[in-house]
Amino acid sequence: MRQIFWRRFDWMLLALALLLSMFGVLMVASALAGNEVLASWPWRQAAFLGIGILLLFLTSIIDYRLLPSVTYPIYFILLGMLVVIAVIGTVAGGAQRWLTLGELFLQPSELIKLGVILMLAHYLAAREEKMESFLTPLFGLLLFAPAVVLIYLQPNLGTALVLIAIGATMFFVGGLRWRHLVVLAGLGIAAAIAAWQYVLQDYMRNRVMMFLNPTTASVADRYNVEQAMISIGSGGWLGRGLFRGSQSQLHFLRIRHTDFIFSVTAEELGFIGAVLLILLLAFLLLRLLRIASIARDTYGRLIVVGVTAMILFQMVVNIGMNLSLMPVTGLPLPFISYGGSALWTMLIGIGLAESVAMRYRKIEFE
Amino acid sequence: MKPAISRSEARLLLLRGVIAVVVTVLIGRLWQLQMVEGASYLIRSDRNRFREVDVAAPRGVIYDRNGKILARNRPSFTIAVVPGDLPKTREGEPDPAKDAAVLDRLLDLLARPAPKLRPSPTPTLTPTATKGSANTQTTVSKPVSATMQIPNRQAWYMPRAEIEQAIKDGRLGGAYRAIPIAKYIDEGTAFTVAEDAVNLPGVDLQLDPIRDYPSGSLTSHLIGYMGHIPAGALDKYKAKGYAQNEQVGLTALESTFEHELRGKPGRQTIEVDVNGRRMRTVGQPDPAVPGHNLVLTLDLDLQRAATTALQEALDKSSGFTKATQGVAIAMDPRNGKILAMVSLPSFDNNLFAKGVTTEAWEALTSNPDHPMFNQAVGGQYPPGSIFKPIVASAALQEGVINSQTLLGDGFDGANDGIIWLPNRYLPGDRTKDQKFVSWNAKQGFGWGKINVKKALAVSDDIFFYQLGGGYLDIFRGLGISALDYYTSQFGLGATTGIELQGEGAGLVPDEKWKRLNYAEPWLTGDTYNASIGQGFVLATPLQMTNATAAIANRGTLYKPQLVDHITDAEGKTVKPFQSNIIRELPVDAGTLDVVREGMYGAVNWPEGTAPNVRLPGIAIAGKTGTAEYYRDWDKDGQPDKDPKENLPTHAWFTAFAPYQDPEIAVTVFVANGGEGSSVAAPVAAKILRAYFGIDTAPPAPVTPITPTTTAAPTPTAKPAE
Repeated sequence: MRQIFWRRFDWMLLALALLLSMFGVLMVASALAGNEVLASWPWRQAAFLGIGILLLFLTSIIDYRLLPSVTYPIYFILLGMLVVIAVIGTVAGGAQRWLTLGELFLQPSELIKLGVILMLAHYLAAREEKMESFLTPLFGLLLFAPAVVLIYLQPNLGTALVLIAIGATMFFVGGLRWRHLVVLAGLGIAAAIAAWQYVLQDYMRNRVMMFLNPTTASVADRYNVEQAMISIGSGGWLGRGLFRGSQSQLHFLRIRHTDFIFSVTAEELGFIGAVLLILLLAFLLLRLLRIASIARDTYGRLIVVGVTAMILFQMVVNIGMNLSLMPVTGLPLPFISYGGSALWTMLIGIGLAESVAMRYRKIEFE
Repeated sequence: MKPAISRSEARLLLLRGVIAVVVTVLIGRLWQLQMVEGASYLIRSDRNRFREVDVAAPRGVIYDRNGKILARNRPSFTIAVVPGDLPKTREGEPDPAKDAAVLDRLLDLLARPAPKLRPSPTPTLTPTATKGSANTQTTVSKPVSATMQIPNRQAWYMPRAEIEQAIKDGRLGGAYRAIPIAKYIDEGTAFTVAEDAVNLPGVDLQLDPIRDYPSGSLTSHLIGYMGHIPAGALDKYKAKGYAQNEQVGLTALESTFEHELRGKPGRQTIEVDVNGRRMRTVGQPDPAVPGHNLVLTLDLDLQRAATTALQEALDKSSGFTKATQGVAIAMDPRNGKILAMVSLPSFDNNLFAKGVTTEAWEALTSNPDHPMFNQAVGGQYPPGSIFKPIVASAALQEGVINSQTLLGDGFDGANDGIIWLPNRYLPGDRTKDQKFVSWNAKQGFGWGKINVKKALAVSDDIFFYQLGGGYLDIFRGLGISALDYYTSQFGLGATTGIELQGEGAGLVPDEKWKRLNYAEPWLTGDTYNASIGQGFVLATPLQMTNATAAIANRGTLYKPQLVDHITDAEGKTVKPFQSNIIRELPVDAGTLDVVREGMYGAVNWPEGTAPNVRLPGIAIAGKTGTAEYYRDWDKDGQPDKDPKENLPTHAWFTAFAPYQDPEIAVTVFVANGGEGSSVAAPVAAKILRAYFGIDTAPPAPVTPITPTTTAAPTPTAKPAE
């Protein structure tokens, strides 16, 4: 039975995740080459990856069907933490995202993504039969909204948008009716207008305007995006060579190891390398959706859909920003950008998907 | 159950469709950027990293004749902050906390005592790396005199509050413009800051070459100084390939030899990082050609001796009022080489190397003694009695007299140092006669009838009045036209062509000139005055030195020159010295020998006017001069006079030595100095002493009979008593 258990493990998914993560370590090394202060960071990223693989296996071993019992407590504890952070942050000012948790464990803003995925999957799966009622999605929305608001207030617009993307996708796949979708969309627009008029303060409006209209972006943002386009454009077919991109190595490109790591890839490895990266991510996403399709229950399927939505949205926003298709937000590229918390979130997400995959056919177990 | 599954299956399919669309859009955009527009982005990335930069050509060094450095280059270190390069927050916003950290660290480094570096004898600017050999550092063959070290310039620091304000202002526009916050910091501190660059993002160390003049005010009038291109001359310099902010020689040799000293800046392509820091050079550089070096004819030791001697004379002067201005020139009469040229007061040309402050400039330009003005070439003064050798040469050559002709006091029966010139319109009325006196009239005696040699030796004015203007029916003089001719031949009335700006031509007055300027006819009295170097005659100290040199060398007037030869950076001579003869004088050597003997007498004969110039073992010939001049400081419309009714006088002395085979000609001028014999002559003696290396104390002073030329600048008729 042990043997059968591991045979259900999606080794292809793991391979794709590891390939992307190791590729990320390499690109971080290239992005930080020549920086003596940050010389150790590629090694740290490799260490994060090692820990992340452990987390991935640990998560996959836990039977996801045991999670519903702890889902709400975990979710509300996370919300409580976000409130505490918001209050203390207001008092102390700045540095809300990390707070006392420091680098020891996940940032709350990363953890809340997984919390929302589990919570919504549980809520929607349990009410699959009651989706005809408008109250079901409405209550779901009320459960979900505090997380978005608290993250937005941090302020962390990027993660708030990721949460919205996750929620929208899960509601959609979870069986939201089209008529409810229309009503909710209408309500959302009305609420947005009301908030714009009465709730949001000027600086908040500016931030939203900046998102909607990139020409009002800050000078630094515009410089970064322009240098990203020069980096990508000068890559050509095969690129300037790893560790040889002039834009990256001479630091014309900024925030290279996180926000603009895709530009480093496109410059140094060219069209071929960049397309390969996009395709690897796409295969990983499709592989996740395969698991969603064969999942034994709605709960498992929605978990995997949530993870898929998280990766897809961050990928689109990050690469879109690099290619000047999207406004500048500080979202990292999944698996590739430097950062332990972000990588662990992704790998734990993959671990959740593996947990679902390993248990998809009842008969072989019982 | 089944419809729900199929609904979610359908929606998962839709999600797959979204992924496909996303991948297509992203790859399509990538294709557009990399394949379609790639070429233009490649150009832009090259524009980011490649810079064409000038490679500064080290400016030529200026040496004295013994290899002592008079002008050289040295690096000036400036610390600047570039607001745009200061550390930022993750969002790319300015971060005051990080700014403060960088400033704390930087100011702490600047405040530390500078580490001691091995002093380099010649801190010439190290040429920027050009991989080539053409830029070898200009080395000096001879050591710099120890006493010549000038202290380091005072460093300048911007106060912290101003720095913070400047950074704030800079961010509002031109964030990548460097703000200098410390200038002229010493080398050790500069290196400390450079080594800590990793911790000081946004902090730039700039290295500018500035000119350094070790001999400072000793040679300022000759070397000159540099500065920004004057607004009016910008186009002219730009046509020669100068950059707008380049420094050029503005005065004296720095200006005259700007072309030779500058060299040719090179160009090269370098790769820079985002902070403009040089990563590597690209391709073959067009190397800089260092400027040529000037080796002067000047002897710095003699220049210093002359300066000291002249300054002492000024300090203890008790003339009409205290003397503050003076000139000393030494020249080699065999070739025109200038050995020393001092004009006091002087200024420190190092003030200009780092950009002169407004206060210093005001102080220099408003000083009534005009320290920036080189009187040696630009000052025009009545030469007084040192003009007499020229008059004597002319008269002897024209045959007006021979060496034995006797003229002078006593034709009117009274050997008293006074003669009377009849009024031009009332020749019969003795009461309208004009009185002309010799300096010795005050002592109550005359020299009687003497020959030209003795007249020169004792500086008898009566003799020269008669020699130039004639006397009654008894003697027909040289006349103003012939005197003017010879005066011009001796170089007066025209610039000498020395390599300095602002030369004065002096004045050789003639009948036409007086009619144009005074609307009066030329009178015999005017010729009388001209014959003793008074009246309208004006000459520069350099012209008088040159005339003396021509007498010393028996008839050749050389162009005075300051630059001996020009060498390239390796020390190879590219332009050797060539003496430049203005003209051969139309005076026979034998004639000049008579004049020379008279000048010998002035120093060596018992009755000579300059016995105090005698040196052991060296025969010296000279001529004193005490020239009255018109001055009206109290603005009463009358010339200033002392209680004894004396006009103020300039002290002159000109000499050459050794008498037989002269190798040095000296002229000393002290404006408002009083007597030439007692004020100017001792200075010349000290210069000659230094030149011939005679260290013994001067002999017990022989008190000369002080000659005072007493002739009014403008003729005034005086009634007989």
